Amino acid sequence: MSDATVAEALRSAAPLVVVEAPGGCGKTYQGASYARDVAPGLGEGRLLIVTHTNAACDVFAERTRGLSRRVEIRTIDGLIIEIASAYHRALGLPADVGAWARRDPNGYAVLADRTARLLARYPMIALCVARRYPIIICDEHQDACADRHAVVMSLKKAGSMLRVFADPMQMIFTGTAAEMAAAEQRWADLKNAADRFEELDTPHRWANAQPALGAWILEVRAALRDGGQIDLTGALPAGLTVHYADNVAQQNMGFRVAGNLSQPIYARANLQSMLVLTGHNDRVMALRAFFNRRMPIWEGHVRDGLSGLVADVRDRQGNAAGLAQSTVTFLGSVATGFSPTAFGNRFVAEAQQGCAKPCNGKPHHLQAMARHIVETPDHRGIARALDYLRGLVANEPAFSDVKFDHGREFAEAIQLGRYDDPDDGFAEIARRRTHARPKLPAKAISTIHKAKGLEFDNVMLLPCDRANFGDTKAARAKLYVALSRATTSLLLVVSKAKPSPLFKT
Amino acid sequence: MPEDAQQPADEAPYIRLLSVKRFRGIEDLTWLPAKGVNVLLGGGDVGKTTILEAIALLLNPTNATTLSDADYWQRRHEDGFEISAVMTLPLSCGIVEQRKSVWPWEWGGDGAKLPDLEANDGQPHDPVFSVRVCGTTDFDLQHEICQPDESFDHFPVSVRRNIGVVRLSGDDRNDRDLRLLQGSALDRLLSDRTLRSRLADRLGETDVDGELKEEAKAALAALDERFVFRLLPSQLGLGLVGGSGFSLNALIGLMATKDGTKLPLSSWGAGTRRLAAFEVAALHQVDHPIIVVDEIERGLESYRQRILMEELIANPSQVFVTTHSAPAVNAAVGAALWYVDAGGKVGSLPASVAAQQKRDPETFLARLAVIAEGATEVGFVTTLLTRSIGEDIRRHGIRVSDGGSNSEALTVLRGLAASGLAVAGFADNEETQEGLWQQVKDKLGELLMRWPIGCLETNIIPHLGDDQIEAFITDPEGDAGERLRTLADRLGIQDKSLAAILAATDDVRQLIVGAACGNPPADPDAPNDQKKEWKKHGQRWFKSTAGGAELAGKMFALGLWPDLSPQLLPFVNAVRTAVGLAVVQTVN
Repeated sequence: MSDATVAEALRSAAPLVVVEAPGGCGKTYQGASYARDVAPGLGEGRLLIVTHTNAACDVFAERTRGLSRRVEIRTIDGLIIEIASAYHRALGLPADVGAWARRDPNGYAVLADRTARLLARYPMIALCVARRYPIIICDEHQDACADRHAVVMSLKKAGSMLRVFADPMQMIFTGTAAEMAAAEQRWADLKNAADRFEELDTPHRWANAQPALGAWILEVRAALRDGGQIDLTGALPAGLTVHYADNVAQQNMGFRVAGNLSQPIYARANLQSMLVLTGHNDRVMALRAFFNRRMPIWEGHVRDGLSGLVADVRDRQGNAAGLAQSTVTFLGSVATGFSPTAFGNRFVAEAQQGCAKPCNGKPHHLQAMARHIVETPDHRGIARALDYLRGLVANEPAFSDVKFDHGREFAEAIQLGRYDDPDDGFAEIARRRTHARPKLPAKAISTIHKAKGLEFDNVMLLPCDRANFGDTKAARAKLYVALSRATTSLLLVVSKAKPSPLFKT
Repeated sequence: MPEDAQQPADEAPYIRLLSVKRFRGIEDLTWLPAKGVNVLLGGGDVGKTTILEAIALLLNPTNATTLSDADYWQRRHEDGFEISAVMTLPLSCGIVEQRKSVWPWEWGGDGAKLPDLEANDGQPHDPVFSVRVCGTTDFDLQHEICQPDESFDHFPVSVRRNIGVVRLSGDDRNDRDLRLLQGSALDRLLSDRTLRSRLADRLGETDVDGELKEEAKAALAALDERFVFRLLPSQLGLGLVGGSGFSLNALIGLMATKDGTKLPLSSWGAGTRRLAAFEVAALHQVDHPIIVVDEIERGLESYRQRILMEELIANPSQVFVTTHSAPAVNAAVGAALWYVDAGGKVGSLPASVAAQQKRDPETFLARLAVIAEGATEVGFVTTLLTRSIGEDIRRHGIRVSDGGSNSEALTVLRGLAASGLAVAGFADNEETQEGLWQQVKDKLGELLMRWPIGCLETNIIPHLGDDQIEAFITDPEGDAGERLRTLADRLGIQDKSLAAILAATDDVRQLIVGAACGNPPADPDAPNDQKKEWKKHGQRWFKSTAGGAELAGKMFALGLWPDLSPQLLPFVNAVRTAVGLAVVQTVN
């Protein structure tokens, strides 16, 4: 049983223990129970749990309740911000390092880089941190970039015992090829450096609902990791359904299947709980249409449209036409129907001309919307214009084709108007969002990327074709993340015409 | 085990930089003390004790300290005071394990500096922490840690306790530490929190009524009747009762057995009490607390001062000692000596003065130290100054001290002149190390008397008149034989009568100078025996303290003063001025 060996390795005196921890195999349980056992004996020191998301912090906090004197739980960025804040003058950063990092598009990366250099150059600082935290548990360490990894390793060098949980199959492959190679190399090096290396292999998450599916997912994970294929030709485990259907949409990122093949997909979508996963953001929009807008989009924690709008507002302050243009761009990313030809161009033109021409009907409404921006040419004007649009969509038939796909993001743009400074507002809204942990809807459409960490009873993944799952490391990791979200049933919509090399059909 | 990280864990804590602002008598002081023992010298009321108290307050192991306006400079409490230190601390003191993270600075040679990512010196890092205590305008104490981002966090009692400060104060307050008063060293050592209430319970059971004499019992009964009559609470009795301002623990003190009798330690001699308090304080401390000792000599015989000083030096702790004791200074070998001047400046007495510390520790304790280059000069200067001042020069805090030799005196003068200690010099001109002598001259001015050329003998003897030769040669006991012998030897004649000598030389003054100075024969190939013999001639003349005094006496007796006054009077007046006496026109 790997569970027992992992538990024993964690409690050993080995300075570096690395645990390969596939999703659903009880790593949080292992980490938290180790923390509970060992923290009371640490004397003045504390045990530090380093995660990558605030959500993970909350989970660990719940599982180590009552130990807050002895156990500290932080995101890796939180830890880095604390160190960088103490030495902000030495690092050439403003006093409020956290706000700066949130505001600067590249902030967290710059911070990690400078802090890693500071710790490398001044072991005395790492020594103090290591003294404070004689034991550090790193959660989801595959998500640590080179600099964040370097920060953690310099603490190990300074004397902290390290307990690393990582699932290399859940690495986020978004960087360049060189960065991906470096990430893989870091994992290999870390495994080599480990005094103990263990692997969790009991699929606890599926133990009650669908044990066969859990076992299959672990098998598939090993196959994907080791360069193999997922064999769909033999007997399939309970809970797994494969539906062969090709995406016949004309547009690049559309989705459509032949009429006779859509029925099983719709039928499955009628289940109480359902997560629909796909590879791309744009296809999420297409799938929303495919399911007749009955399923909401899971917006996750990323707000690309809103952050673009905030950046624009900074540059175009006072320029009503420019701000109107940014508003149209933003609406394009969170809604359908407010296209340049239908509304956008006229709206921008009104802003440009100062809403001077008298008019009626639809143009009149667009003029009223643009007037907010003309009168207050900043983020507050935009917020009022968007709020006005919300009323139009609800009440005016001419606007009924405008559909908000990212309702939360749209609402946050309106909230932004309450803050004097758009950057501060954006940071504050982001902070609240991460701490509020929005409740998961029963059903959702999501990109695989945004679904990381989510669990749903029923999951469908579509389309499984060559374009989405080629034979690359990134695609293998992405596929595994998608498959492992399901706890009871999993439906794969697999292409025969353009087959993915990761499936054997 | 960290690989290349430094390990300050086993190091003793020590103060690298101390800064005191507006605390008691010190307006503004900045000082870089040494790692081991720091001996603070200097006159009265210059702030030595205040420096020690500032350190003790900064590291105070309790929060129970009350301030009064006397703790503020010029009693101006509205300006507050601040005592800050940059310290090397072992991480075992727990400073980085507090509720909030505490971050190190880097030692920059004269203070804490920020890490510098651009610097590429490859030097090993020297982490320090910055701490302070502030006296607020409303008499509160705030202990704080200064973080590298310039914010301040609390400097907790627990960390101060782990750093540790052991204090041996100069006044008799050490009696306090031999009692079980709250917060006293004895209380902290025993740390028996419930003793007081347990004892109170026991005392409460004491039958006081039963101990009363019959008359007393009757008086109490009468009072009881009266109470009944007045409808006051009755059935009176006696018991032990507490009260505000009264502490049971204050009655409990350390006892020791002497000649079979148990006696409170507070009834022993002052020195024993101090050492006892010191041991009580030191015992419950961490490994290497910072130690402050005010007036180490208090109540201690010379040998105990020496032993204590040597023990302190052997200890890895950083120590701050004030003293006015020559044996203590003498024993402080390897300690850093500092001189606190009347302006509250702390000057370093460099290691180069160590020889002088051994030779004459009182040099460092005087109000004005006159470094004379040899025994002759000591005798001469003492006589000269005594004559000018008209009484014992020690009464004015003047110490004339033997510098050992011309070059040694130069070393000592350079060291002392830089320290701020008031110093004067009296030296020959051997035409060596001119540059260094000039530096000392620039610093001391007329307080340095250095002959334009030659020495005492070469500058005085040539002024003798022909009729004064005999009187000059004759020593204070009326004997001239030995000195005449040296002259005859130098001339190679048997007859040592003055007449024979005068007949054999055409320059008797030069001959006397040669003998008095112990000059070697002119012929470099002269036999070694002869060289040795001639060198000893000086001792028959003035090469001793008494000889120097004799020379000074003769200078006045033979009326040579007017010839030498231009050289010597400015020096005499500079010394007089330094000790607060008026300038004079001559020396009678």
